[in-house]
Amino acid sequence: MTRTPKIICTYLALIAVSAWALLPLAWAVTSSLKPLEDVYRFPPTFTVDSPQWQNYSDAMTKLPVARFLANSLLISFVGVIGAVFTSSMAGFALARLSFRGRRLCFALVIASMLVPSQVLVVPRFLLFDLLGWIDTYKPLIVPAWLGGGAFNIFLFRQFFKTIPQQLDDAARLDGASPWRIYSQVIMPIARPATITVLLLSFVFHWQEFLDPLLYLSDLEAFPISLGLRMYQSMAGTWANLLMATSIVALLPVAIIFVVCERQVMRGLGVVGKPW
Amino acid sequence: MTPVRRQLCAFLAPWGVGLVILTAIPMIGSLLLSLTSWNGLTKASQTQWVGTANYRSLLGLESAALVAQDVPLSSRLLRGQPGDTRFYKALSNTILFSVVAVPLGLLASLAVAALLSVPLPGARLFRALVYLPHLLGGVATLLIWSWLLNPQFGWINEMIRCVFQLIDPFVKSFCGSGTADWPVPSWLYSPTWCKPAIMLVHVWTFGASVLIFIAAIRRIPRPLLDAATIDGAGPWQRFKNIAWPHLTPVVLFTYIVGMIFAMQTFNESYLLQNRAQQDGLLFLATYLYESAFSAPHRLGYASAIGWIMCLATALLVLPAIAFSRKWVFESGGRR
Repeated sequence: MTRTPKIICTYLALIAVSAWALLPLAWAVTSSLKPLEDVYRFPPTFTVDSPQWQNYSDAMTKLPVARFLANSLLISFVGVIGAVFTSSMAGFALARLSFRGRRLCFALVIASMLVPSQVLVVPRFLLFDLLGWIDTYKPLIVPAWLGGGAFNIFLFRQFFKTIPQQLDDAARLDGASPWRIYSQVIMPIARPATITVLLLSFVFHWQEFLDPLLYLSDLEAFPISLGLRMYQSMAGTWANLLMATSIVALLPVAIIFVVCERQVMRGLGVVGKPW
Repeated sequence: MTPVRRQLCAFLAPWGVGLVILTAIPMIGSLLLSLTSWNGLTKASQTQWVGTANYRSLLGLESAALVAQDVPLSSRLLRGQPGDTRFYKALSNTILFSVVAVPLGLLASLAVAALLSVPLPGARLFRALVYLPHLLGGVATLLIWSWLLNPQFGWINEMIRCVFQLIDPFVKSFCGSGTADWPVPSWLYSPTWCKPAIMLVHVWTFGASVLIFIAAIRRIPRPLLDAATIDGAGPWQRFKNIAWPHLTPVVLFTYIVGMIFAMQTFNESYLLQNRAQQDGLLFLATYLYESAFSAPHRLGYASAIGWIMCLATALLVLPAIAFSRKWVFESGGRR
């Protein structure tokens, strides 16, 4: 009976929540187009009078931002491939192959999710130092190729569980090996999970801050996260350029999300069933 | 080994190697390190076993004067005589942050998930918009937030000032004086306001748990809700007796994961710190980083901080699991 007012209220609430979610982006976009003195104006304005597009080109040249972006892309690209590959393999074994110790392995995956990474920071640093990996990308990339994160394994395993077992059985009767079942039966169906892990591990590598901070000291090798930090520390005075760089740094993630939003929502849906 | 068995090993090998080399061995290493005084520079042979000294000096269990006075341990702890005041500050900051921000995020995401599971045109767009911050959280957004929260030039305070102006006439008619001299929060430039500020920033990235809750809400059996409506149950009763029990497993999951991540918070603390806060944003993770990676590189000490952090997380998470039988509803028994 009171349906219409209810729907309007829901919409208003949703608009308020979305506005809140977009507020930092709106701030960054407007500030990045303002001349510097307008960013430091009191009271602040919510609009831009004359957009200063050259802020973006200035921001790219004050520091080698293009270089940072290229570095980040390289790290993320190599890391993402490793994460998708190795975590889907582990997820497949846990969901589809029967072997002794499967429950134990799954418990170990979950348990390793619970270990605070900070406990591991110092010994891992010593280990990578011992291997001579400081000032290389290996400490950022190799872990992705060794299991690719417990959460990704968990996500793949949960998604594989939703695929009917009969498919495997049929393939097995036809003489397919586990490897063929994995690569030609299961993985093609598991596209939402693959794309979700792809996006999540891309975001993870793209945003990684502590590890680059620990392992990289050469400015030329910095990923964008460290580059942004440089901007902030050396240039408290270039707020508008910092905001322009932030927008540039956020753009790839936003674009990828827009492109594969539907798949990601489906892929994440399975995580909602934790046990 | 049969071919199938060999293939099985191949599937699990990358993860297995990673688990041993990157998790298990570092964990043992960290535990051993925390019992030494190593600074990473001296040769391993010169490193001393110090037993639990790192832990004791962190927790202040052996403040020399008190030990001399023969004051019992319990009253030393009660009097708050920590060996390392900055450690205690980091510990209490981290716990306060986690204990407030995680439940706050849970409540907010549950509410938003309820809104988003109403079947409406455009719900998909809103869902994507709400999830977006989760993906964008990182150095870039933290730096944006630090400007947004700038007491003078940021929008947040400008909005607060606008609200103050709007209610000014009403306040004047009630209390006499207006809102003109009401102070606005100084957010990241104050030892107290920096805490709600960072919680705000943290809760902003709640999109992932919103999605998890939406999925959980969809799994609530419709017939149960319809039957309750026919029997005359109101919205609150339906929520409390039908929806909530179905959501409890997901609440527990989100609480555990959220708590573990919140206790490890590093970026927010490291990037938003400044002198005006007087260590108000010093977290365990940042203090660990500081101890290990700036002179005098107290690696053993830092490892001990890591383990205390682990213990504190366990103390916050385990009770929720231990009492899960009391409040978590398992439909249909086992998985």
